[in-house]
Amino acid sequence: MAKLLDKQRYKCALGAMQTVQAIDRALPILHSGPGCAQKLSENTGSSGYFSPNIFPCTSINEKDVVFGGVKKLDSTIENALKVIDADLYIVLTGCIPEIVGDDSGEVVSRYEDAEKPVLYAPTAGFKGNNFKGHEQVVDAIVEQYLKKSDEKIEGLVNIWADVPYQDLFWLGNIRELEKLISELGLIPNTIFGYKRGIENINKIPKAQFNLLVSPWVGLGNMKKMERKLGIPYLHYPTLPIGATETSKFLRAVGEFAGVDKDKVEAVISEHEDYYYYLIGRYADLFLENRVINKQFTVVADAQYSLGITKFLVNDLGLVPAKQFITDDTPKYYRDKIAEEFKKLNFGIEADVSFETDGYKIHEEIKTHDYHGYPLVLGGYYEKEVTESLKGNFLNVSWPHQDKVVFDDFYVGYTGGIRLIEDIYTVAVQRFN
Amino acid sequence: MAYKIAIGSSDGKIVDLKFGEVNKFLIYEVGDEVVLSEEREYIPGEAEDNSADSCSSSSCDTKSCGGNGGGCQGPGNVAGKVELISDCRAVVCKKIGFQAQKQFEKKAISVFDVECEVKEALDKITFYYKRIDNHESLRG
Ligand code: SF4
Repeated sequence: MAKLLDKQRYKCALGAMQTVQAIDRALPILHSGPGCAQKLSENTGSSGYFSPNIFPCTSINEKDVVFGGVKKLDSTIENALKVIDADLYIVLTGCIPEIVGDDSGEVVSRYEDAEKPVLYAPTAGFKGNNFKGHEQVVDAIVEQYLKKSDEKIEGLVNIWADVPYQDLFWLGNIRELEKLISELGLIPNTIFGYKRGIENINKIPKAQFNLLVSPWVGLGNMKKMERKLGIPYLHYPTLPIGATETSKFLRAVGEFAGVDKDKVEAVISEHEDYYYYLIGRYADLFLENRVINKQFTVVADAQYSLGITKFLVNDLGLVPAKQFITDDTPKYYRDKIAEEFKKLNFGIEADVSFETDGYKIHEEIKTHDYHGYPLVLGGYYEKEVTESLKGNFLNVSWPHQDKVVFDDFYVGYTGGIRLIEDIYTVAVQRFN
Repeated sequence: MAYKIAIGSSDGKIVDLKFGEVNKFLIYEVGDEVVLSEEREYIPGEAEDNSADSCSSSSCDTKSCGGNGGGCQGPGNVAGKVELISDCRAVVCKKIGFQAQKQFEKKAISVFDVECEVKEALDKITFYYKRIDNHESLRG
């Protein structure tokens, strides 16, 4: 039976236009109704080059439903190539053309010999959400554009993380991951954000390996690249936030890449020294147990739910109440991710629920005994319910209304400190 | 439920007339079968007089643009023609101007500006309506 979904935390697969937008000088061409793009755009920054308002769109209507929209798609691509200066064009299809059976792939294939690459990613909303749409875009690049390379660059690592724009901290996070990887003596390669773009896409096949930092988003892409391009991958499921996890992360990457152990340890201790120096300076704040809440709940996509839970338990010694994953994680990944929530320090295990219905999540938060005021890190939807419980709230996941982020990040040692700052900034306000 | 489709075609085979060029709409009635039920002639001037369209001021001399088709898409001409087939569910012509599209939209009449065979147009449109009237998916 059809059911209502309250406060969903994702968009339809066509939301992948944000993934395309995150690639420098890449342009989405939308084969969809005019309303689709409009309702998917949001104010978390544009690409810095194209405004989403100029994304070419076939704006298909009833006529195209009945007679097919391929002609319009063809002319839209043709004209986009003429008037918009991009390095890469990716055609994204919405529901309508896919339902009525437009062969968009065939139309796009007519542009194989165009001066700039024109690719096609099927992203109809009925096929899934924007996490899935993101994977479709990367798949399109791998399948339709990249070719296997015999030439390899020693130490080159492609880094993949979660979904740009859906993750408010995507830009800062990926830059920080790059930085950490290069400290190990490796050469990071990413395709999202400032000055990356097509040149870095071209480098993908030459990498020594792919590094995926995400519980599940992108795993399919890694497998595809392994098959097609012969690139092995390291899947690190936890977004490393804070010292405990980041040190583990660096060791795992170091081992996989064959980096000298001493070198890895040297990098780690330099970071840890500074990290614990900062923590030590604020020991009074941490030991004053009235300041921070005893138990916490994270309501977020899998990456933040897992990453923040590990951080708050392992680094800050807080106790997890129930955690919620709201990204509609595909069923076959769930057990493995739930396992990760059991691998916490001090023998602690966290209970996690894969729940997309905001109403149910809020009911559970309301009825749980937090042994005091709750600490809730979640989407803006959780603000009101947390306030009604007199708890502390921090907006870390979509939807973001409470925070403007340019290139701030939560990943790594520095990211952990940033998250502590944010949490305690909220917590101390109780005493003002 | 039966409904009508108005088509702009000079020979009954190809949708070859622009909306402005149509003097005689072929009206197809769609019930259990699709039949050509009438040829409805457009007589300039007549329809305008009894249509309460937005262009009723004297400054708009409908006669001047009401000639024999000829592509004039002025509001008077358009309103009359729209009124003439306002009992139809859809109109099919080779091209239909913006003015006319808007007018049809207001009356919830679907506009299909396509160049194809009359038969193809009828097949596709009736297939589409059949599916949506029965709440069936358009897939496949
Ligand atoms: S679900 Fe389909 S119709 Fe709705 S916005 Fe997404 S692509 Fe468009």
